[in-house]
Amino acid sequence: MTGIKPKTICITGGKGGTGKTLCAVNIAVMFKNEGYNVLLIDGDVENPNTYLLLNGELENKREVPFFMPKIDEDKCSRCGICAQNCTNHAFLYIDDSIPILMSSLCSGCKLCYKICPEKAIEADFKTLGWIYSTEIHGLTLFVGELKPAEARSAGIVEALLENLKNIIKNKPNKFDVIILDTAPGAHCDVELLIEMADVSIPITEPTRFGKLDLKRIMELINLLEKDCKVIVNRSSLLGFRDQFLDELQKESIEILGDIPMDADIVDSYCQGTPIMDNNSGYDINGAGFIAFTNIFENLKKWINLNE
Amino acid sequence: MVVIAIPSIGKGGLNDDMNPRFGRCASFTFVELEDKEIKAVKTVPNHAADAMGGAGVQATQIIGNNNAEVVIVGFLGPNAANGLNALNIKILHAPNKKMTINEVVNLYIEDKLPELSSANVAPHHGMGGGRGMGGGNRGR
Repeated sequence: MTGIKPKTICITGGKGGTGKTLCAVNIAVMFKNEGYNVLLIDGDVENPNTYLLLNGELENKREVPFFMPKIDEDKCSRCGICAQNCTNHAFLYIDDSIPILMSSLCSGCKLCYKICPEKAIEADFKTLGWIYSTEIHGLTLFVGELKPAEARSAGIVEALLENLKNIIKNKPNKFDVIILDTAPGAHCDVELLIEMADVSIPITEPTRFGKLDLKRIMELINLLEKDCKVIVNRSSLLGFRDQFLDELQKESIEILGDIPMDADIVDSYCQGTPIMDNNSGYDINGAGFIAFTNIFENLKKWINLNE
Repeated sequence: MVVIAIPSIGKGGLNDDMNPRFGRCASFTFVELEDKEIKAVKTVPNHAADAMGGAGVQATQIIGNNNAEVVIVGFLGPNAANGLNALNIKILHAPNKKMTINEVVNLYIEDKLPELSSANVAPHHGMGGGRGMGGGNRGR
């Protein structure tokens, strides 16, 4: 498995609570079972919880700094050029006064820092959040966490991807498979991760909510011109399985597989032992186990790891 | 002598109505008072009324640049409140009903307006329908 670029798979889904993290963790574990080196990245930075499904702890905490301008009042000529050019209006400027930073509006673009004619703006930093790296269940896990009350979550996702790009550049053979787990929604955090991946797998559920949000995320995936196949989780819910799968097929949405309601899955979720882990001890003839096995076989055929 | 600023519905002036919105009002009426008497009235259009974002900060700049010491508001967002506080401008709260600028000034003269120390609405409150930034400021 050397000399081949790692395959990157993005697990996403639009709607919250459809089982993105459950699928991401178990797909990662199934690759690990077959001897592949797997990196799992939790990009749901507002609610990172992948490590809980792996019964692990967050380790190797690193701060993610975020640029903030700081005005050197001795150097500032009170010209207001920084405030006039700030598209976010993050400086409150009263004529002939030192501009006042409204930090919650600052996007960290550094324009003021670059254009100040007096070089009176220094680069200061605040903590936007943290990234962690840890080894659990034979997987390498990166987790991003946005500091509560901070808004610019994409900065954390960018920090995770920068880490990933450095690894691919410096140690291209370190990982065979990279799994990216996204936040719900179809916003820029999710977009960054889909963009990074070779293929995307939206996770949905057989409800009207599930279908609506699936369409939104598929629109984003199509815009980014990425291949995708859908997993329908809780497919036995209320007996809508066949009708729902039919509807997706009629709209030419490809289906990677479906996962019925299953007590072993719920148990594994609560215990923090992925159902598909080699040592999990769950019934290999259980409906959930069989569903994941089928999904994994379809996935391997689809992405062709040896390419 | 004190200068008070009041967000206005139209072009401003004593006979115009007060606008309950601060950052996105059409104009500001500045009233100069001395010994409880109106000495001068000036109006300034609010160029931030249709801004995509940062209207509160820009409106605050108008208040500061026109030397107001007191501003009377209906609804006030967090960025405007922080800005006004940073400039030590006193914020007073007007009753939530239709009133002319003149009536508001009279309430001020009678000392009937309570002080407001922080925002009483969320960001982008005064924005027209469907133009909010959305997505919890997820923009990069």
